Amino acid sequence: MGGDVLNDHLLSIVTLGPTVFAVFLLFIPMQWKKVHRIITLIASILMFALSTRLWTAFNPDVPGFQLVPDPIPWIPQFGINYHIGVDGVSLLLVLLTTLLLPVVVLAAWSLNIEHIKSLHITFLLLTTGMIGTFVALDLFLFYVFWEITLIPMYFIVGVWGGPRRIYAAVKFFIFTMAGSVFMLIAILYLAWFHHRQTGVWSYSYLDFLDTAPLLPTTGGLLAPGLLVFLSFALAFAIKIPIFPLHTWLPDAHVEAPSTGSVILAAVLLKMGTYGLLRFNRALLPDAWEIFAPLLMGLALIGIIYGALVAMVQPDVKKLVAFSSVSHLGFVVLGLTAGTQASTQGAILQMVNHGITTGALFLLVGMLYERTYTRLIERYGGLAGVMPIFTGIFLIITLGSIGLPGLNGFVGEFLILAGAWATHPLAVVVAGIGIILGAVYMLWMVQRVFWGPIDNRANEAIPDISMREVFVVAPLVVLVIWIGVHPNTFLEPMEASVRLLLAR
Amino acid sequence: MPTPSTTDLLAIAPEVILTVAAGLVLVIEAFLPGLRRSLSGLGMLAIAGALWARLSFELPGPVWAGMLQVDQLTAFVDTYILVAAFLAMLMAGPFMRRNGSDTGEFYALTLLATVGSMVMACSVDLLPIFLGLELLSLPLYVLNAFFRRHEVSVEAGLKYFVVGAFASAFVAYGMALLYGVSASTHLVDVGRQVIELGAFNPLAAVGFAMVVGGLAFKLALVPCHAWAPDVYQGSPTPVTAFLSVVPKGAALIVLLRLVEGMDLLHISPRWVLAASVIAVASQSLGNVVAIVQRDIKRMLAYSGIAHMGYALVAIIVAGNDGGSAVLVYLASYTLMNMGAFACVAQFSEREDRPHLISDLSGQGYNRPVGALALTICLFALSGIPPFIGFTAKFVVFRAAVNQGFVWLAVIGVVNSLISVFYYVRVIYILYMRPLPERRPEYGFSFAICATASIAALGALLLGIYPTAVLAAAQSAILVLAR
Repeated sequence: MGGDVLNDHLLSIVTLGPTVFAVFLLFIPMQWKKVHRIITLIASILMFALSTRLWTAFNPDVPGFQLVPDPIPWIPQFGINYHIGVDGVSLLLVLLTTLLLPVVVLAAWSLNIEHIKSLHITFLLLTTGMIGTFVALDLFLFYVFWEITLIPMYFIVGVWGGPRRIYAAVKFFIFTMAGSVFMLIAILYLAWFHHRQTGVWSYSYLDFLDTAPLLPTTGGLLAPGLLVFLSFALAFAIKIPIFPLHTWLPDAHVEAPSTGSVILAAVLLKMGTYGLLRFNRALLPDAWEIFAPLLMGLALIGIIYGALVAMVQPDVKKLVAFSSVSHLGFVVLGLTAGTQASTQGAILQMVNHGITTGALFLLVGMLYERTYTRLIERYGGLAGVMPIFTGIFLIITLGSIGLPGLNGFVGEFLILAGAWATHPLAVVVAGIGIILGAVYMLWMVQRVFWGPIDNRANEAIPDISMREVFVVAPLVVLVIWIGVHPNTFLEPMEASVRLLLAR
Repeated sequence: MPTPSTTDLLAIAPEVILTVAAGLVLVIEAFLPGLRRSLSGLGMLAIAGALWARLSFELPGPVWAGMLQVDQLTAFVDTYILVAAFLAMLMAGPFMRRNGSDTGEFYALTLLATVGSMVMACSVDLLPIFLGLELLSLPLYVLNAFFRRHEVSVEAGLKYFVVGAFASAFVAYGMALLYGVSASTHLVDVGRQVIELGAFNPLAAVGFAMVVGGLAFKLALVPCHAWAPDVYQGSPTPVTAFLSVVPKGAALIVLLRLVEGMDLLHISPRWVLAASVIAVASQSLGNVVAIVQRDIKRMLAYSGIAHMGYALVAIIVAGNDGGSAVLVYLASYTLMNMGAFACVAQFSEREDRPHLISDLSGQGYNRPVGALALTICLFALSGIPPFIGFTAKFVVFRAAVNQGFVWLAVIGVVNSLISVFYYVRVIYILYMRPLPERRPEYGFSFAICATASIAALGALLLGIYPTAVLAAAQSAILVLAR
């Protein structure tokens, strides 16, 4: 039965499919730029279509992992398997990834840049790495996917980026690598510990769920449980990024081409928050109790610091980049508060941030293509010349700052409401962050779009094109959809989150 | 001594094939100079024949009155020695022709050096080990200085000769002392005697330390590393590639048989500590100094010092885990390094000038295949998945963590992180810097490009599916006497 084969291997196809297409692209001559674009677009739309089948095949009432194909032995000597699956948490992130791929491919459609072939190959490889990170149920496999994302992103920033691209690319690479090497030791240690407890070699997440919580956490800072926790947390904190490890982010975002910024902000940063929940929270609950206040404190600092720094940025892209630090602070706050509502809010906010910040980077990129500047002072009064663009920008902005009825509100509300019972003070601080967020975003909108046109070069710039509408339309629809009917997205994750928090 | 049996002869068939081929090459060179172009092909054919013989003939175990041990470990080691020699030979043909030094002696000496390392790989007796060591080293002294009109090449030959003679003397003197305490030249007897006498018997300890020290010269471990950068830089690139892989592999196997087989290191915690210090120092010095190198061959020399530091970690860890990790590390190091040096040979204008990393600017688009191969090899060397370098480091650090050497694993990963700096720098120069005004004129050779591509493809495919290599390494290490 052909249909059964498809269903059994659906997750593998979505994960590895992009790589198959990337290998295929390798054999197409690089002069055929159109062919590369069309094939990549078809591939990305196909992957998205298949991933919607994941959504329909997923049973929201069942906690734990679903759509799990039989583990395939990979390195049987060490008990390493190709073992993947989704639960309610990762399902949303997989869908976010597959949705954004066609969006960025279409966004890069008209770009007149060099090395189109390599760009598309890197995007496809990156997609496999990102989806793989979210679906891996074997920690070796997880680590491989986690590290694989580094190489394409390094090239995207370094080859197609702005003037300081090499500095930004190397900084990104080294920072991320610095976190992940310690994670490797932690994974090795967990496997050794599992072997000592059970006599079986395994790198399976499901096996570690039984043994990892047994790691001792008492006896000072050198207790194995705490060190393993810190090793994982460092990798994720750099990726998220949590203050004060965020310094690579503004550089990478500003120098990356706008399509790269979209993927970086929308998906790559979520790998960090996802890992915090999936590994730190679920595998090491005792250590989580000890370190959650610290993480929460850093998240709060990040919320306020990110907002304040964003406020004074002269460059729109940098402003959006720093706003990410602030928004991701909310996500970490929701995770560390640890209630059902705040955790679900945090996961929804991961998706929200992916959509709104992704859209903002796309829109800023469109502005840049028209004016070749990103400085706020060079704009002003754009609402007069590009009304449709302004409307879309406004919807996204309002979604980002949490206007009721749009997506950001639901996420932030759930986080704050969930955290209120346990951490009222943190909620107050975060509330200040929301106000600051509204201030810097609206102030930026005011300076860019309202008022008179004081830069004559801007008098004749064209409004948004049909292709560009197609690019942002799905994101705008989602901003409103999540705002009006968040249950579509909250329901599938409810049982999974309950299970995660019960550990 | 009884006459050798058929088993004895069949067991050394690969070595015989290579030696005969070396002689044949010299004869052709002398009497049929018109066939000179086909000599590298003949060499490759002989190597392929030797590999076939090693893999298809049965492995009898102890032969030649117990002096040699032809077992699965030998087969594993010979396989990668022969693969490395084959790749070196493949790139040597066009490379030597391009530089006008396409003479038969080159191929004959390479074949003889290969035989020497294979003898080391199968010896379990001090005498053949020493013979193998000399048979490996003497041809290499000549090969290093093969561009005899280039000052750097002559300097490389002289340096390697002086240091190598020193190392050989160390090994010979140490062997004499070991023979003195154990009245036997067989490794198992020697090992037993050393264990019996303990770590504080001066004769045994000094003899053991001198043998290991001599091998450390071949491995370029700190503090015996100083020759490596100059020799790597000055030697003809195919020789550098050969030199960076084959002698190190042979020396590590002797260490495996001597140290791992008897678990000698662990008779005293001080010896373990001393070896750990050497491993950490090699990694740290290699990686830090590599950062400031401007010549890619010197950079790879320092990176080689660091990589032997990682391999030494696996030796310190010992046991089946550590032993198989050494083998996996060697296999991966062979592929990555051969690929990287083949790429250096590709991007080389003149052999008597430094191979500056900055000369690679923009070559990523000018020479896509070669640049991609170099990129894969460098990512593999830095230990990033899905390439085999990651698998190798994973296996080594896994063994370390499992045996309670977590601190060595932590230092190892920190060093991998440092190494990312210089590997990644080469990659951004390839892809993210524009082509310079004066475009370097790199000749194109299909064979050199093929060498790089084979090695890079191997590094990728074995990285994605390392199971077969791991299984072979694990069964090979079981044959060590314990």
